[in-house]
Amino acid sequence: MNLDRVLQVEGVTKVYGKGDNKTEALRGISFDVLEGEFLGIMGASGSGKTTLLNCIATMIKPSSGRVLLKNNDVSSFKGVQLADYRGQEIGYLFQEFELLDNLTARENIILPLSIHGVTGHQAEQGLKELANRLDITDVLDKFPSQMSGGQKQRVAAARALISKPSIILADEPTGALDSKNSKVLMDKLSAINKEQNKTIVMVTHNANAASYCSRILFIQDGRLFHELRKNIETENSNSFYKRIVTVMAQLGGGSANVL
Amino acid sequence: MFFKHVRRNAAKYRKNNELFFSSLVVAIVAFYTLLSLGDQDVMLFLKTIESDAVSKLMLLIPVVYMISLFFVFFQVYFAYRYQLDSRKKEFGLYLMLGMKRSTLFALLMSETIWNSLISILIGLPVALLLTEGISLATAKLVGLGIIGHRISFFISAVIGTVVGFIAVQMIAMLLLSASVSRKEPIELLRSDSPEKQVPLSAKKGWFCFVVGLILLFLAYAVGVTMLRSFDFYIVMLIIILGGGGTFLLYRGMGVYIGHNIQRKSPMRSGLFTFTGRQIQENVIHQYKALAIASLLLVIALACASFGIGIASGRGSTEVRTVDFSIEGSEQEVHGVLDSEASKSMISEYYPMFLSHMNTNLYDQSGEILKRSPNAHEFSWAGLSAALANLPETDLRNNMIENFSDQRGRPYIISETSYNELLQAIGKEQIQLKKNQIALYTSMKDSGDFMNILNSALELGAYIEVDGQKYELLSSVYYDNVVADRKITLYSALIVSDEDYRNWVSDASTPFCWNVVLNQEVVNEKGLMQAIQLMEQNLAGTGLEYESFISGIGRNLFYTVAASYLTIYLGILFMVIANTVIGMKYLMQQRANKHRYTTLLMLGANVNDLCKSAKSQIRLFFALALSIAVCSSIFAIWSMFTSFLKLPAGTSIVKVIVITGIAAVLFVVIEFIYIHIVERASSREIQALQVTDRG
Repeated sequence: MNLDRVLQVEGVTKVYGKGDNKTEALRGISFDVLEGEFLGIMGASGSGKTTLLNCIATMIKPSSGRVLLKNNDVSSFKGVQLADYRGQEIGYLFQEFELLDNLTARENIILPLSIHGVTGHQAEQGLKELANRLDITDVLDKFPSQMSGGQKQRVAAARALISKPSIILADEPTGALDSKNSKVLMDKLSAINKEQNKTIVMVTHNANAASYCSRILFIQDGRLFHELRKNIETENSNSFYKRIVTVMAQLGGGSANVL
Repeated sequence: MFFKHVRRNAAKYRKNNELFFSSLVVAIVAFYTLLSLGDQDVMLFLKTIESDAVSKLMLLIPVVYMISLFFVFFQVYFAYRYQLDSRKKEFGLYLMLGMKRSTLFALLMSETIWNSLISILIGLPVALLLTEGISLATAKLVGLGIIGHRISFFISAVIGTVVGFIAVQMIAMLLLSASVSRKEPIELLRSDSPEKQVPLSAKKGWFCFVVGLILLFLAYAVGVTMLRSFDFYIVMLIIILGGGGTFLLYRGMGVYIGHNIQRKSPMRSGLFTFTGRQIQENVIHQYKALAIASLLLVIALACASFGIGIASGRGSTEVRTVDFSIEGSEQEVHGVLDSEASKSMISEYYPMFLSHMNTNLYDQSGEILKRSPNAHEFSWAGLSAALANLPETDLRNNMIENFSDQRGRPYIISETSYNELLQAIGKEQIQLKKNQIALYTSMKDSGDFMNILNSALELGAYIEVDGQKYELLSSVYYDNVVADRKITLYSALIVSDEDYRNWVSDASTPFCWNVVLNQEVVNEKGLMQAIQLMEQNLAGTGLEYESFISGIGRNLFYTVAASYLTIYLGILFMVIANTVIGMKYLMQQRANKHRYTTLLMLGANVNDLCKSAKSQIRLFFALALSIAVCSSIFAIWSMFTSFLKLPAGTSIVKVIVITGIAAVLFVVIEFIYIHIVERASSREIQALQVTDRG
């Protein structure tokens, strides 16, 4: 059973500041992510969801607890190991795309591979397949300033996928997109998740985007608050969406939460 | 509270912009050095000999100072504009928190004044040390005693420096902060997205690139082939072609770099593409700055070479043959020179017999105007014929014409007098045989003239006196027959003493008496002081005299004035150009900091990023430098083959050594600049890692 667990988060806490100024962003969170899962993380602003994602992505170090990717403790990585982890084991999708605006789409996508010593020629095959799948073949030689927001995020998705990472981490990937482009992106991500059995962990505010997930963790004040699991065989996205909205209403101040 | 804030902000600014701040200090040193020129020992000394020329130079200094201020103003303006841009949010916040516009304005101005004062506090002592050093070194170099030297603080130069420097800073800041404090808070709070990479259409880019190259090569060609003298129109043509070419070349270079990246990147891994695109973006956005920096470097290199050329050319030709030339009767001269005071100073003195040949006077048509008793018939025809056998040039034709003119009476010098002179400077003496004569000229500074004359003599030239042919020796003699400029001879003949007596009307009166000082005294006191001491002996005697000191004075003046000013401008332009390049790079890196964070997230390690930044910096500098160096080579080539021809006899080894030292200095300065920028850039990238890892 252990083999199927791609990611294990064990008692992770994150404390900022000292003494009276102490702020606990994460207060001991534990969960596992199985291979091929599409996990959503939801919560109000300041609940700690992005801090959690950043701990997994090694952008920040947890104060205590462990993050294991394929049984390796990522918080202990340093130097080359850390660089390899960032470039090859995880793919990161940012809310603001974070494409380098002086590189063409093609150059942006193969950047994680070039950094790890792969030439453009060697990356060509993988690049073509991804570009086809994400509908960005036409913009490969364009610069970000010449693309629409949707195209930019799909180029960013291609960049996250090109190194065939074990897990994709997405931080509000639809946050800067309109509903139409959000739908296109989520359809693509969902298809990749299903067809390639790619594991995705996505932080989002958006119930619509979350309804594409197979499981959703709700976080409040740095703790796990609730978990929703989609019944893949019997439940369609619409009814899952309704359940999500109900939990969100509770999180956002439903009757149970009245102080 | 307000002043604490001002001081803190100013300190932060200095720390973040050490490159710009140190260039300000250099500017202060340069300003003071320029303004104190008139008060330096050498100049004070020169004022006593060449007061006219020195006053003219002093009139020129404010002009040069204004030019320097103008260029420094631009550097300051752009640096402050960048500073204000990057602090816009902070200002917006101040306004939102209720700071008055006038207070914000005062804050900015106070920060500027505070930083200016600190630059002055650092720069002035350095400037004082430097000028003292220059003053002592030049004084020692030219043999001025250092007894009269005292440490000096030239108040007018200090005031000039401080006022000019602060004025430039204040005007730049005034223009900028006025526009900032007029803006609405929301405009300030909204962060500008950095300029987007929009490639220039490939066709347009290539067009600029190719036309730029063509114009640049045309400028080189015009410079090398058409610039024979300092012709205003030709110089303007070169400036337009060269300047336009440089701008167009940099304008189109982005496309060329992009093309190269696309061609090479499929084969390369690592950050090759990123580095290339960064450079391309820098070139596309900063092409104007690159072109201006590159042109400034060309001016800097050309100025410095001009200064070095003048200094080495002038310094090497003036050979000291005689220390004093005195006019007076034999008795008077003996009376003064044989006195106890003078005797110990002098190693020898001798009469210089130099006079016109006694010929008839002719008018323009060649008819005899006035007959002289015992007149001789003289002809240059043999020399003209030898000249006519040489390849034709304008100068040769001129010379033939001059020597064909039969109206002039030739000057003749007695062999013994000239041999005395040769002996005094340790040269081999002339041994004239019967019917032999040597040719003399004072025009030794004109290399071409001397070459033509020597070639003609080697072919075997002669002159005729009273129908008798006299063979001319095969080389021309040129050592100055007087101490300074008592007489300048286009041509003269050194003849045997017997011929001299026969051919001049008064063979007993010398042209002047030449005095050579005792070498031991010169060694002990230095030439300048020795001459000044001897002058005291001559001053009250009523004798007419000239001394070698005026020659040195004139020489020194040209050397000091021309080389000092041009080298000063060269260094100033170089500092500005390098600061512009360095700052433009660092600004661009700071504006695109998030790219480096993204790369870190994608798994690049910090060392790779620093390496990429270093190659970007080197390439960016190389782009500006390569074209500048290439243009400078042609500029210097044109200059030295036209109006700045080095005089004949200039030691080539000396020129090469000085040029070599200058070149090494240039390379060292460039390395220092590149290193400073690299360090600043690495520091910023390493700081990213820290925040990134929380």
